[in-house]
Amino acid sequence: MEHAESPSADKVVRSYLAQLGLELEGADAALRHDAIIDAEQHLRAAIAAGATAEMAVAEYGTPAEIARAYLDAEHEPRSWHITPATAATSNSSARAPVDVSAVSKHQRLRDIPIIGVWFDRRAWGAVVYFGAVGFVLSLAYFVWSVTIGSLAIGLAPILIGVPLVVLLLGSARAICLFEGKVVEFFLGVRMPRRTQPVQGADHIGFWQRIWCWLRDVRSWLSLGFLLGNFPVSVVTFAVTFTLAVTSLALVVIPVVHLLGHPIANVSGDDADIMFMGTQLVPDAAGDVWLTVPLAVASLAIGLALATGTLWLARGFGWVYGHVVQAIQVARPHPMNPPKIR
Amino acid sequence: MPPDIADKLLRDLSLGTAWLVVLAAIARAATPIHGYEIARQLADEAPEGLSFKQGTLYPMLRSMEADGLVKSTLIASHEGPARKCFTLTAEGRRVLNAWCETWRSTNKWVNRVLGGIDGTR
Repeated sequence: MEHAESPSADKVVRSYLAQLGLELEGADAALRHDAIIDAEQHLRAAIAAGATAEMAVAEYGTPAEIARAYLDAEHEPRSWHITPATAATSNSSARAPVDVSAVSKHQRLRDIPIIGVWFDRRAWGAVVYFGAVGFVLSLAYFVWSVTIGSLAIGLAPILIGVPLVVLLLGSARAICLFEGKVVEFFLGVRMPRRTQPVQGADHIGFWQRIWCWLRDVRSWLSLGFLLGNFPVSVVTFAVTFTLAVTSLALVVIPVVHLLGHPIANVSGDDADIMFMGTQLVPDAAGDVWLTVPLAVASLAIGLALATGTLWLARGFGWVYGHVVQAIQVARPHPMNPPKIR
Repeated sequence: MPPDIADKLLRDLSLGTAWLVVLAAIARAATPIHGYEIARQLADEAPEGLSFKQGTLYPMLRSMEADGLVKSTLIASHEGPARKCFTLTAEGRRVLNAWCETWRSTNKWVNRVLGGIDGTR
């Protein structure tokens, strides 16, 4: 029986995985990661069950076929869900078929130059994420990491620090996985569906497994992310929150004016209200009103600023999401064999 | 028939039937079943000449999970890392039953029509 760990079988598996990776070059990194992890686990299980590496690879399918299957599954709408037989008898729990016309209409709205971002769910998700959720989460991650990390360093001389380091690295990996789910929900960047097993941690005992964890680059990448994420999130929070609130205020103030309400009420003779560089004089009752040109200018600037904020948040989201994705798909042993067709 | 059309027809037929047999393989398993075991069973039972590419199973399982037809749990394995094992959900069972019915009636209909040209009626 050929074992997965035998050098020749391992070479065949690695070569196959590398070819599959090359077939999926240009595809989403998380999709590529899933395809490789699925193939690796399947092939190693097949070889462990007694198949030769060549046979396991042949039965699995050529890299081109498998890459096509992953790409098709990712991009095709699954309207198969309601079959003709079920459509007639389905109850309210059955999902409605995909409305292709609604999808394309939404797509067309998103494709409008510049203002299409108003119809992009990822942009709004990014504003919520960077303006609130992400900041709170990164603060919590940072406090946890610094607290446990400080304890681990302080207690290292009496060995209690060692399990704390393991706890810290384990929690960092778990938090990173959780963060991936949050990022996927708010920012729309796909995260891997398969968790990558710790390299070399099969067939070994508890302490060796811990050692593998300590050596695994993803543990340290995750910890680095938790620590480095905090200052980044402070900046993105400050920028996103400030811009969002400012644009909201600029849009709301003229609307308040149009609804017949004063934008402010002041008392005292020396009240001095400045709005967009223009001094506004209160009336006899102390109410402050916008002029029509100022109201129009405020509305226009507010909408333009909101559009810019959405674009900026979407940009932040794209970069940030792909950094989180890169940590999750990082492989401890990169494979770069030549492409075989 | 040109080979590319034959390939296309085979692909279309394989996709539809693969969904059905994968759901059936999960349904008949007494305990949660992992991807490799499903692939092995399907390959063992595949008729001669019909090739089932085992690697196409995993994106299929992922789509099924995303649609709520199956649910997965990680189960520790003595032979390697923890394995993702699948069970059918209530929705998955409902879809499988409906598909079985559709398959049986389609099968009858196709056989009846084909009987007219090769005597298999």
